Amino acid sequence: MNFVTTKTPRIITRLIGSSCLLLVVLLGAVFLGVSAGSSGGGMSSVLQVILGKSDPDSMLHAIIWQIRLPRVLLATLVGATLSLGGLVFQALLRNLLAEPYILGISGGSAIGAISGILLGLSRFPGVSLAAFMGSIATLVLILVMTSGQSVLKKESLLLSGVMVNAFCSSVIMFLVSLTRDAKLHNIIFWLMGDLSTADIRQVGILAGMLLPCFILVFRHSHALNLLLMGKEMAQSTGINIKAVTITLLVTSSFMVSATVSYCGLIGFVGLVMPHLLRLIFGPDHRILVPACILGGGSYLVICDLLARTLPEQGEMPAGVITALIGAPLFIILLKRSGR
Amino acid sequence: MRIRLKKLKIFWLSSLALIIGMPIPATADTVVDQLERRVVVPDDPRRVISLAPSITEIVYALEQGRRLKGVTRYSDYPPKAIKLPRIGSYVRLDIERIVALNPDLCIAIKDGNPKAVIDRLTSLKIPVYVVNPHNLDTLVETILEIGAMLNAGDRADALTTRMRSRIQRVKSRVAQVAHRPRVFFQIGISPIVSAGTETFIHELIELAGGQNLAEGRIAYPRFSREQVLALEPEVFIITSMARQAVFEEVKAEWRRWPNIPAVRDERIFLVDSNLFDRPSPRLVDGLELLTRMIHPELQE
Amino acid sequence: MNPAITITNLSHSFGKHNVLRHLSFSVEKGDFFIIIGPNGSGKTTLMKLMAGILKLQKGQIDILGLANLTYTPKALARAVAFVPQRLPVNLPFTVGEAVLLGRAPYQGALGIERERDMEIANQAMQFTGVDHLTGATLSQLSGGEQQRVFIARAICQEPEIMLLDEPTASLDLAHQVKVMDLMEKLKREKGITVIMISHDVNLAAMYSDQVLLLKDGEVVCIGIPSAVLSFRKLEETYGCKLLVDESPLGGFPRLTLVPGRYRKPYT
Repeated sequence: MNFVTTKTPRIITRLIGSSCLLLVVLLGAVFLGVSAGSSGGGMSSVLQVILGKSDPDSMLHAIIWQIRLPRVLLATLVGATLSLGGLVFQALLRNLLAEPYILGISGGSAIGAISGILLGLSRFPGVSLAAFMGSIATLVLILVMTSGQSVLKKESLLLSGVMVNAFCSSVIMFLVSLTRDAKLHNIIFWLMGDLSTADIRQVGILAGMLLPCFILVFRHSHALNLLLMGKEMAQSTGINIKAVTITLLVTSSFMVSATVSYCGLIGFVGLVMPHLLRLIFGPDHRILVPACILGGGSYLVICDLLARTLPEQGEMPAGVITALIGAPLFIILLKRSGR
Repeated sequence: MRIRLKKLKIFWLSSLALIIGMPIPATADTVVDQLERRVVVPDDPRRVISLAPSITEIVYALEQGRRLKGVTRYSDYPPKAIKLPRIGSYVRLDIERIVALNPDLCIAIKDGNPKAVIDRLTSLKIPVYVVNPHNLDTLVETILEIGAMLNAGDRADALTTRMRSRIQRVKSRVAQVAHRPRVFFQIGISPIVSAGTETFIHELIELAGGQNLAEGRIAYPRFSREQVLALEPEVFIITSMARQAVFEEVKAEWRRWPNIPAVRDERIFLVDSNLFDRPSPRLVDGLELLTRMIHPELQE
Repeated sequence: MNPAITITNLSHSFGKHNVLRHLSFSVEKGDFFIIIGPNGSGKTTLMKLMAGILKLQKGQIDILGLANLTYTPKALARAVAFVPQRLPVNLPFTVGEAVLLGRAPYQGALGIERERDMEIANQAMQFTGVDHLTGATLSQLSGGEQQRVFIARAICQEPEIMLLDEPTASLDLAHQVKVMDLMEKLKREKGITVIMISHDVNLAAMYSDQVLLLKDGEVVCIGIPSAVLSFRKLEETYGCKLLVDESPLGGFPRLTLVPGRYRKPYT
């Protein structure tokens, strides 16, 4: 059975197909996310607002454009970044349990954020900047620690990341035990992940930082495929392993750090979305990279929507919903695929 | 007093409007709140949202409850506040609900409400007046300012005058006392936490003629059981959000050391925490309660 | 003299351990070149250096006349293809997708397959006899079939030089011969220089044009099989009793291991 030679390469048709499908899913999720919230509002009235047919001074107008839309856009960006980060680290470290916080990012940023909160800095830019510096510091620490052996040796990177995160966890618990009053609330909410402070200008800045990263990772998606063969074979097929690994490492760490600095540690998305999408769309990273961006974004929008509307009072952390839904979903898909 | 009410200006404007036959525009005024922020406050706020339980209590004490359209989750006093729509808790405010209620004035409290949320509301063109009552004097100022904003200036004057006279009565009775008992005010059970100098609790204890054993720079210091034993408190005052059953347990726990003066003299009391940590008129109730517990000999 | 690879004064060490010492030799274009030697003699290190996977420490390697440092990774991949000993059999791709990976040196960043890429992949799979398995996942195949898939992938790189590290190590007899015949076919029909590491000295004797005997990182001997595979040299290098005579197939030596129970030394 020969390869079927088609006019347009098969990869292009598959890429367009999967991306269109997920784009539709994302738009649907965004619409749902903007329609629902703690103050109600039926779908038809929401549609009116979006199509510009309603009174610009109405309450619903303000709520949708200034409160819900920034939050939904933020959820899209965060879900996309975390899923993409998980995908890249799983490929780079050749470990299916890798997730975007694995190289000390969660520990470092948490310590930075907590320090910022305890010092009384404002959420943006103070605490965010502190969190960002914290995660970059731990990343540099890990790279320095592993620079004796080849920086690219995945086992040492992985182990160092796990150790640093564990150490940071105990420091965090220590800091938390020392805190009382309202600051404790702020810290806990940050640790659980918080999408509620979305502001359209800040979301715009974040998008400006993240979109170039997405493009850069996409341009390396075939390299990620080749990396699955192992470093040595990838090198012998023409990939400059050192350059590619460092570029991807830095880009992914940067984008995950930026996301975490802004809205805390939302868990589980980066671990489970790549696996979920792999089960559905296959292992080709050229398809998975856009899939993680669109699919990961949709997933977090939906989870955030549920987190906002399910509880009677207040809201749950989005990270709880991502795990509650993601884990069973994944197990079902796994069983269906017959592995 | 920082509020300038230009009633005269309104009079002239409305006369002019009547003459010209134009509809009277809703007028507002720019004031400065307790954090030195400029806030544009409407003259007759009809849709007020209180961002803390203490503020809810103050508004009701000024008999302006009908102006309130939304309160935070734990606004439970007076009982009719429970019927009002909730807008989240005071550390985790629900911006969407607040905006949906279309308020013309929000009253916030510095200690607790997140600054990011206050800024968000302001950027959405909702006036937010922030108060910062951190002792009895600033509490009185706060009540007067809120009263002026809600057109209840007279009521505010009467309320604060009564509060001041009650406080003065306590002060004068306590002034004659020879001995100030050592008081340990326990607000946390596990770990044991008390209240330092920068709290209302400290101020009330001192006014009530007691000695706050936890005084110092740390607002909520932690104690080990040993440290408390070493301080030899003469009065234990225990407050918690927990119920009677927990209080009995805590009392039984302290009773294991009968050489503590407070245990020996059976001076262990349970009080409602809301009378001591909410900056509202009920603090004066708390003060009188404390005086009865610390100096029972002074009661007429 | 038309060398495919020239090694000059090559040394390599891992930490304090000197794996290769001052190696110098060359491989002629179009030759079937087999490297043999006991374990730990540095064969795999040598091959990885030739493939550009390990960084050159001391000495020089010339590929097709140019120093290997002047090649970009892609250019090197177009000249040299490598099939390692342990194959990535857990690759989640199908056979067809895995073979197409070999076209990367000729593709842009996203590796979009064009008609020519598909043609070459088809040809490579036909050449190695795995074209009936295009849609299968790698993990479903036997060891020999997996081997041939990765050889097809290497062929897709359209290399002038093919490097294989012990390709017959875990194969059964039939597949061993199949793979060796395949290499001969590559050399004959495409003019590719095949450099191979082999455990099996008899296979080396049967197929190679030139043999390199390596021990402790040094060249013991290099030349045609009958010259290198003398029993004295082999006994010294491997440290065991051997019997060397001419194969009944004619034209090359045959090696027989001597079990301990034969006490009388053979001449």
